[in-house]
Amino acid sequence: MGQAQAAGLDGSDALNIPTPPPSPTHSAAVRSAVSSANPPSRTSAFLRNPRVAGLAAWILGGVFLAAAVPKIIDPPGFAHEVSNYQILPRGAVHAVALVIPWIEVFAALALISGFKRRSGSFLTLSMLAVFLVALSINLARNHPVDCGCFSTKETPKTPEERIASMKLAILRDVGLGALGVWSLKAKERSF
Amino acid sequence: MPSNAPVRLATGSAVLIVLACGAAAVSNALAGPERRLEWLARGPAAQAPASPSKSTSPSPAGSSPASSAVAGAASAGASAGKPWKDATGEEVDSLFGSGALFLDARRSSEFRDGHIPRARSVPVWEAGLDDKIKALFSELPDQSVPIVVYCNGGECEDSHELAQRLYLVGFDGVRVYRDGFPDWAKRKRPVSTGATP
Repeated sequence: MGQAQAAGLDGSDALNIPTPPPSPTHSAAVRSAVSSANPPSRTSAFLRNPRVAGLAAWILGGVFLAAAVPKIIDPPGFAHEVSNYQILPRGAVHAVALVIPWIEVFAALALISGFKRRSGSFLTLSMLAVFLVALSINLARNHPVDCGCFSTKETPKTPEERIASMKLAILRDVGLGALGVWSLKAKERSF
Repeated sequence: MPSNAPVRLATGSAVLIVLACGAAAVSNALAGPERRLEWLARGPAAQAPASPSKSTSPSPAGSSPASSAVAGAASAGASAGKPWKDATGEEVDSLFGSGALFLDARRSSEFRDGHIPRARSVPVWEAGLDDKIKALFSELPDQSVPIVVYCNGGECEDSHELAQRLYLVGFDGVRVYRDGFPDWAKRKRPVSTGATP
């Protein structure tokens, strides 16, 4: 018996006596005691607030919607941008250029509407990861490319300016990724 | 149920992707020729040769007699290992004066804004490229005629891509205007506007 108690068990476990489930009032009392012992910080409470996470989802959704529109208006221009990254096989460039903007749109709509919001967050995070890898590969091989994130028009820039823009785009994607993780905490809506 | 959360996440994501694919298909089907893309992009290497009588394997620039004839004295700027030659502004002026065919590889909108007179619009990134190349092949029985292709110069690769595709269907007198339309405009050469040559 003493060993059982030392192991953190009460006597009933050692004797194979089923323990009755804790009553709701007991659980509430335990939670109250724990929370009063470790009160959540204001920042933590703020970050965990579903409404604030919903705001993050709205912002991320708005950014993705804004990014998708120029690509949908000009698929050949976006295909050109995708091709410039020199990562995908030539045969896959058009299909990717056609589908990616619409995934951005539906992920953005999910984030903004709340319907399938977590799936929208997941998709945006996945796309951001792909964009980060694509930019990083081209930075690593010192191949300056236009990001193609919010515009399909080639910009008159020097290679050095393009490299600097790529670094900024990576930082921006990391920030958007943080918003994506945050938006996973937001409430989903069902219709 | 927490154990269902990954399944719901995967299902929801799949639904959104399927919706996106459907929307992309509808949008592309309804798009005009300037906005439409062929789903499977065909690179130069995948382009089937249209002329069985000609060798279509890539060869060094100027290796065939016809190509040499077209190239003439303008041997400077040859692209080593490529089946076309780069052309300087002066060479392009000379080819323009001799009535060579000019092809503009840029987007249609750029062509409308300004292009080399008599040039035809053959945008590499828009649908219908294969049809335009086939039409050109049918129109020109002599595939050694001089053809000048251009885009925006600098890092623009569209003219090289068009040159490669032309070469693969049998045209072996293709010259790439290295500095492209910006150089033409900068040298105050005549410029036409509108959708027609």
